[in-house]
Amino acid sequence: MTIKKNSVAAVNPESIISLHEVNKWYGEHHVLTDVSAQVKKGEVVVLCGPSGSGKSTLIRTMNRLEEIGSGTIHVNGQDVQGKQVDVNSMRSHIGFVFQQFNLFPHLSVLENVTCGPLWVNKAKQAETRQLAMALLEKVGLGHKAQAYPNQLSGGQQQRVAIARALAMNPPVMLFDEPTSALDPEMVGEVLSVMKALAAEGMTMVCVTHEMNFAREVSDVVWFMDQGSLLEVAAPDVFFTSPQHPRAQKFLSDIRRH
Amino acid sequence: MLDIIHQYWLLFLIGSYPNGPLGGIAATVLLSVIGIGLAFPLSVLLALAQLSPYKALRYPATAIRYLLRSIPLVMLIFGAYFIVPIILGRPVAGFTTMAVTLVIFQSVYLAEIVRAGIESLPKGQAEAAAALGMGYWTRTRKIILPQALTNMLPSMVGQFVTTIKDTSLGYVIGVNELTYAANQVNSAVITQPFTVFLVLSLAYFVICFALTQAARLLEAHLERRNSRTVTHVTLNAQNAPAAGHSS
Repeated sequence: MTIKKNSVAAVNPESIISLHEVNKWYGEHHVLTDVSAQVKKGEVVVLCGPSGSGKSTLIRTMNRLEEIGSGTIHVNGQDVQGKQVDVNSMRSHIGFVFQQFNLFPHLSVLENVTCGPLWVNKAKQAETRQLAMALLEKVGLGHKAQAYPNQLSGGQQQRVAIARALAMNPPVMLFDEPTSALDPEMVGEVLSVMKALAAEGMTMVCVTHEMNFAREVSDVVWFMDQGSLLEVAAPDVFFTSPQHPRAQKFLSDIRRH
Repeated sequence: MLDIIHQYWLLFLIGSYPNGPLGGIAATVLLSVIGIGLAFPLSVLLALAQLSPYKALRYPATAIRYLLRSIPLVMLIFGAYFIVPIILGRPVAGFTTMAVTLVIFQSVYLAEIVRAGIESLPKGQAEAAAALGMGYWTRTRKIILPQALTNMLPSMVGQFVTTIKDTSLGYVIGVNELTYAANQVNSAVITQPFTVFLVLSLAYFVICFALTQAARLLEAHLERRNSRTVTHVTLNAQNAPAAGHSS
C-alpha cells in the first residue's frame, strides 16, 4: 500500500477537493475502500447513503480529523494527509460544520464567531468584530451576538456554527450531517442558510439525509455504501434512474417513509 | 473550655509569633495556600502529560501518578524530612519540608481532578477548535482548560479542604502549625487534654466546613449556569480508588 508518487499529477487543477484511491481501516474493518472523486470549484456535493456507510468518516478525512490508511486527498491544492503539511493552516482554509454544533459554551455567540480569525489568523479586533456581526446577520442571529450558546435553540446554534466556520473565509465548506441532531421544526432554518451559501457559489460537501435539499440544491450526488463510493451522478439522474442496485434499494427505502 | 480559648487564642491563631516562628491557624492556612497554589500549575502540566499522545510524556507522568497515589502522605513527609537536607546539603526548616511535600503530593491529586475535567468535555470541543485551525496550545489554553477548570472548581475547593487537614501531619516532623500549637497548649495546661484537642478539632471543623459550604454554593451556581453540553463530573480525588491517602 505505498502511496504513489505521481498521484499529485492526477490532481485536476479545477478541483478544490480531489480524492485518490482513499482507503481506511479500523483494525480489520475496511471503512473506506478505494474512494476516488473530485469536487470542482463552486460545486455543491451531497454525500448520502445508509448509516454506517462511511460518509462521515470520509468527510472527516478531508480536513484530517480522521487519518487514512492509503491514498491521497488534496484540498485547496494541498496534500491534506501529507507528512509535510501544516495541519493547522490547512484546516483554517476548510470550513467544517458538525452534527452536534460543538459551539464553545464558555464564549458568547459573537466570541464563538470571532475566535477563529483572532486566535488563528491574529486578525484585528475591530475588523473581526464587524465581519462576525455581518455573518451573524447573514444567518439571522445578529440580535443574539451577546447570548451564550446554551441560551439558543439547536437550529440557532447550528447557524452560529456555520457563521463561525465562515468567519475564516474558507474556499470550501464541509457539513457533517448538519441537521441530524435537530428537532424537525428547526431543520428548515439551517437548510435555508445552506441554500443561500450554495447560491453564492460556495463550494460545499454535505453529508445529509435531507433528500429534498439534495434534489433542489446539489450539483452532484455521491452515494456511498459499505465504505465504497458506488455512484456519482447529477441529482435528477440519481433520483429518477439510479444505476447501482444498492442506490436503487436505498432510494426505495427512503421513499417508503 | 472557654477559659482555655480565652487564655491561649493567640497561640492557636499564630503560634508563638513574633517571638518564634509563625504557627497556629495562620501557618496551617499559609501551608495549605502554598501547597495548593504551587501544586495547581504543576497539576495542569501533569494532567496534560498524562493525556498526551506522546509516550515520552505520558509514561513518566502516569508512573508518578501511580507511585505517589500509593504512598501514604506521612511516608512522603518522612522521606522529604530526611532526603531534602541531604540534597541541599544544609538543614531545612520543617515548614519548608512540609510545603515541598504538600506541593508534590497535592499536585498528583489535583492532576486527577484536572484530568477528569478535561476528559469530561465532549470530544467535539477539541475537534471544533482543531477544525478552525487552532493548534494544540491554543486549543488547550482557550477552549479546553477554561471549561475543564471551571467545571472542576468545586472539586478543587474540596482538595483544598483535604490539604488543610493534611497539614496536621506536619506535626510528626515538628512543623509549627495548628496541631503543634494545640500540643503546646496541652503541655501548658497539662490536666485537660480532651478539652484542648476538642478545641483543636473545632478549629479544623470551622475552617473546613466553611470551605465545604462555599464549594457547595459554587457547585450549585455552576450547575445553574452550566446545564449545557458538559457532563458534570464531581470527583473528589480522595474518594478515588487506589488512594493511599490518610487524613
